[in-house]
Amino acid sequence: MRKFSLAAIALILVSACSGSSGTKLLETGSSLVYPLMNGWVAAYQKTHPTIQITTQSTGSGTGIAQAVSGVAQIGASDAYMSDGQLVQGKMLNIPLAISAQQINYNIPGLNTSHLNLSGPVLAGIYSGTIKMWDDAQIKALNAALAAKLPHETIIPVHRTDGSGDTFIFSQYLAFSTPSWKNGPGFGTSISWPPVPTAVGANGNPGMVQTCQNTKYSIAYIGVSFLNQTNSAGLGFAALQNRAGAFVLPTDATISAAANIMSAKTPADERISLIFAPGANSYPIVNYEYAIVNPKQANAQVASDLTTFLNWAIDPTGGNSATYLNPVHFIALPAAIVAKSRAQIASIKA
Amino acid sequence: MDLDLGRLGGTARPRLPFLQRLGTQRVVRFLFATAAGISTLIIVLMLVFLAIYALPAIRFNGIGILTQSVWNIGDQYGSGHVVRSGITAMQGAQFGGLVFVFGTVVTAFVAMIFAVPLSLLVAVALVYRVPTRLRPLVNAIVELMAGVPSVVYGLWGIVVLVPFIGQRVGPWTTAHLGFLPFLGGPAGSGNGLLASSILLSLMAMPFMVATVRDVILAQEKSIFEASMALGSTSWQAVTKAVMPSVVNGIFAAVLVALGRALGETMAVLMVCGGAVGIFAQNIFQSVNTIAAVIVSQLESALTDPTGLAQRSLSELALLLFVITLFVNIIARVILHGADRSGEA
Repeated sequence: MRKFSLAAIALILVSACSGSSGTKLLETGSSLVYPLMNGWVAAYQKTHPTIQITTQSTGSGTGIAQAVSGVAQIGASDAYMSDGQLVQGKMLNIPLAISAQQINYNIPGLNTSHLNLSGPVLAGIYSGTIKMWDDAQIKALNAALAAKLPHETIIPVHRTDGSGDTFIFSQYLAFSTPSWKNGPGFGTSISWPPVPTAVGANGNPGMVQTCQNTKYSIAYIGVSFLNQTNSAGLGFAALQNRAGAFVLPTDATISAAANIMSAKTPADERISLIFAPGANSYPIVNYEYAIVNPKQANAQVASDLTTFLNWAIDPTGGNSATYLNPVHFIALPAAIVAKSRAQIASIKA
Repeated sequence: MDLDLGRLGGTARPRLPFLQRLGTQRVVRFLFATAAGISTLIIVLMLVFLAIYALPAIRFNGIGILTQSVWNIGDQYGSGHVVRSGITAMQGAQFGGLVFVFGTVVTAFVAMIFAVPLSLLVAVALVYRVPTRLRPLVNAIVELMAGVPSVVYGLWGIVVLVPFIGQRVGPWTTAHLGFLPFLGGPAGSGNGLLASSILLSLMAMPFMVATVRDVILAQEKSIFEASMALGSTSWQAVTKAVMPSVVNGIFAAVLVALGRALGETMAVLMVCGGAVGIFAQNIFQSVNTIAAVIVSQLESALTDPTGLAQRSLSELALLLFVITLFVNIIARVILHGADRSGEA
């Protein structure tokens, strides 16, 4: 017993000493960014042993809240901060990488084919006006598969927890469908229309699980869960973009949307990439953000934070395929890297 | 709960002569009174804190939290605001909690329908039918059930129960028994009222079994024996003689279990299907409870710059607190009465 407590005290002393010699940074927030951040931190600490970065998967809302309150130096968020949130204090919204979202479904016999779906049809499904898989509106988009669509009730699955995925999905519906824009609107948590068969699931893992367990269900799931949705045998849809074309979520279509939107991105980089113009643009694409306070506790923290963020967005550093491919994220376009560097340069003590 | 005061005092005495001089009884009594006082104080302080924190929400929502069914934290990315009773919220904000109050009450009630008969049978069997040698084993199993963390029940629910209901029970029942009330209509996904209530009943059972068992044991054994001596069968003895004499105790046990079911969070959150803005029409549809919605909505509530979403969740918490407190107080009063009638 005594030996054990002596060892514990020694361990605490050693860790306290080693901690005091370097900078401690805390990253917390989005569960989609979390696996990417873990890959980054593991690699970064090999070359920068004095900077100690702790990562946490808590959700975008918590990430923003803790970055604002100063608990965390980096708040990871799938959504940019609203004007209303920025009233509380100036915060930087720095894109770290580009993510996308798939629309998955579980229709026995059709999971290996890609259904064509549009914003208005998805809005109809999630509003309860389109109830069956063989609805005329779905058939109209899928002439080749029309005979195979079953006469079964659609079970729309949505997130119950506040989520960046709900934010970008509801934005796609709002930007493409006026009735959705004037109805439920968009946000990290929205007031879903009452659909008797609708099911709520917790987190992306819960979405995959529910969709897999429930025949004839449909769900929206972050592209970083592609490996899981594939092994669950779920189908994913080609979505109609602003130009009217149906596109699958691939590196090429996600990049196409990001490239077109990079010119429109303002200096503070708070912009939605959803429903981008361009014949080849995938419609549900978003920046993954680091929410950072431009005024840090001291010069050392500000400098270490700046160095890390600059490395993270560098095409030869954190934005290289080594780190992005495992989570199916896409690298930032060069124009966005430049805008992000300008924002990072404003981080001061 | 099973603290033995006599034993505690007995071991403390030889080791601590100082306490002995002071009077162990008095010290122990003081310690326990302080502990009891502090725990009461904590409850009261929590209630006061919740009420103060929720006050703006109470003023903004008014009676609407109990009568309306739309929960909408408002337009997070719009610039508009809505002001009511001097309290600012985001444009379109509406905090109606009726769906969650409904879900909380209905899941707990249905859970009791499963749990009460089963628990009574187990408790009666434990007292009268399980051989004395096996009793410690069965008691241990019941206590083990109470000790299993609710997230474990929830995980079992997601992996086993929900697919079973969604793929087998639901489709079969709606097809063959759909003419009965609350059994017809869409079979859903397995997440919902039935799955939540089954998990709640499993979690409530050990409490109920233990309480009913103790209440029966507290009654004089002679009631059972006298009834048997008068020629009744053991079933008649239990149902006609023993049960009526412990009915208060059973009712209190149900209320204690109900109190637990009302506030259960994690397992329900995992299988309830997170209904928003809609009431379940049959036992297979999604529901939502106050406890589950507080967990699931907290993250987005943090994004409300007016802070009213968080305060409205606190108002829901206050509501749940009051409901469970109320149920528990009634249970205590009845249980106290049952104890005294047992002594008399």
